[in-house]
Amino acid sequence: MFTQYFGHYLLNRNIVSLIQLQEAMEQLENTRVKLGVLSVNAGYMSAARAEEVHQLQARMDKRFGEIAVERGYMTEEQLEQLLGMQKEGHLVLGQALIDQGAITLDQFTAALEQYKADHLLSDDQFEAIKNGNIEELIAAVLKLDASIDQPWFREYLSLFAKNMIRFIDPMLYLEVNAVPQGYQSEWLVSQNIEGTVTLFTALSMNEGAFLRTASAYAQEEIQAPGELAEASVGEFLNLHNGLFLVSMSNQGIELGLKPQQIEHRAALPALATSYLITVYMSEGSFELIVAPRG
Amino acid sequence: MTYTGVNERADTMKKELTILICDDSVLIRKKLRGALEELGYADIHEAHDGEQAVAISLERHPQIVFMDIVMPVKTGIEALREIIAALPETKVVMASSVGTQSNLKEAIKAGAYDFIQKPLSQDAIARVMEKASAGGGA
Repeated sequence: MFTQYFGHYLLNRNIVSLIQLQEAMEQLENTRVKLGVLSVNAGYMSAARAEEVHQLQARMDKRFGEIAVERGYMTEEQLEQLLGMQKEGHLVLGQALIDQGAITLDQFTAALEQYKADHLLSDDQFEAIKNGNIEELIAAVLKLDASIDQPWFREYLSLFAKNMIRFIDPMLYLEVNAVPQGYQSEWLVSQNIEGTVTLFTALSMNEGAFLRTASAYAQEEIQAPGELAEASVGEFLNLHNGLFLVSMSNQGIELGLKPQQIEHRAALPALATSYLITVYMSEGSFELIVAPRG
Repeated sequence: MTYTGVNERADTMKKELTILICDDSVLIRKKLRGALEELGYADIHEAHDGEQAVAISLERHPQIVFMDIVMPVKTGIEALREIIAALPETKVVMASSVGTQSNLKEAIKAGAYDFIQKPLSQDAIARVMEKASAGGGA
């Protein structure tokens, strides 16, 4: 999952274009991460030194690892360890972008460092995230706004991310944003959760995101809004909330669910506090709105 | 009886079973109907809320009912109670995304035959149909 996150991060920061990112994502299966990227990523070498080894490689007809070990830039053990990391998704993405000429190794390394700094991550947290731990990733997204970092919310979001990946779109990126004044929704699919935690939950989408989500969940092409599109997006929210209730129930907290509502061109109900998460998909985005009530 | 004969008899029994799908989502009704038709069942009825489910059950006497829980007008648990009270032989399979402890307990207490957690898989539907049509108790 970090691969998708990091891809979106590169896109949002204008480091790569959408076309470059899509091309790289398509190439992932055919891309093998080279030792230069791995050794810089592991912190064994600077990008400049890796470049130096690359240039020597061109002249000496030797492997990258062989030269690096000979020159004392890394040990045999470190080389072994790097070879085992060749399948790390975000590195494969980085390599695909480098191979494509979209970015340099230096830019890739700088972007990874920037991601870590932007999300205020420790080395351990960053390791966990790179290894695909959704919980850590969500915690990092939430840490940017401490007021919403409540255990149930973290669980709600982490489950939402998993359900998005499972049913809608594996290319996922979440961002916490403020609800704008006078917020209007083109398609508002909402559902109330009741009990010790009382929540208003909603998906707010424009028509494009509505139809893409509906088609993905129904596993068939839905080309226009209508009963089937509404049922599909509604059922996705209902399924996600249902699974959240099951998870809370397993922790001894029993909550209830009300039938979902679907409205066209609607304003949000009056809510004291609400959290808005922008959900980026491979194409387009929508908002997840969660508001505690009562 | 030949092996083919046994299969033919099983197929005839399938065709004779009356099934009711009750879910407020047209998508779920469509998918569930498709899955049941693929398994060879043909006499399938649909209801979009608990109240309609009770009315159709009283009229059609289905052997098997697939029942959602969270629905407008009348919940699946309320409909389950009324169907079992009127037609105690009906096998009502709860099919919901909300498989919480309290829903499971309530459904069992009200006489549900089985509980399938959504998302529904073809496997889960086939298993429950095999058990229910073989006449197995809950």
